[in-house]
Amino acid sequence: MFGLGRPQPTSAEKIAAVENELKVVAEMHSRMVKICTLKCIDKSYREGDLSKGESVCLDRCAAKFFETHQKISDQLQKETQARGGGGFSM
Amino acid sequence: MDGLTAAESRELDQRLQKRQVKEFMSVFGNLVDNCFTACVDDFTSKALSGRESGCISRCVLKSMSTQTRLGERFGELNAAMTAEMQRR
Repeated sequence: MFGLGRPQPTSAEKIAAVENELKVVAEMHSRMVKICTLKCIDKSYREGDLSKGESVCLDRCAAKFFETHQKISDQLQKETQARGGGGFSM
Repeated sequence: MDGLTAAESRELDQRLQKRQVKEFMSVFGNLVDNCFTACVDDFTSKALSGRESGCISRCVLKSMSTQTRLGERFGELNAAMTAEMQRR
């Protein structure tokens, strides 16, 4: 149909959308740092430098964190659909 | 996502700057909480002991290195994940 379409997003909506997306990413980053620090860093702080073991652990932790995020996102979507829900993607 | 006008861009930049300040304060707060919890446990004195001070310094250095390293990994992984999502 001519002229029928979604109403254009307002300025406020456009700005909010970008800001929101960044907020989501920043939050994920912050959570990852907290958790991987907990899992990988020796709390005795005998040294100021990251050991080789800690460094490798951090790399692997980050990779697994992302994989977990994706896995759960996929599974949640699948389960929600199977239960007849609308589902949402992340 | 349609492009933003110059005015909208400026508004966004302002918001992001405010957000960055908030973010920094949050990182700083976590650093204090984390290093205090890990390093300070001697309450026979009001002043930090030499041991506690050293521990805190090392904690700060290590935490900053951790932030840097994880920041790099996060950037790589996030880019890969975004690309994958667009591919699907």
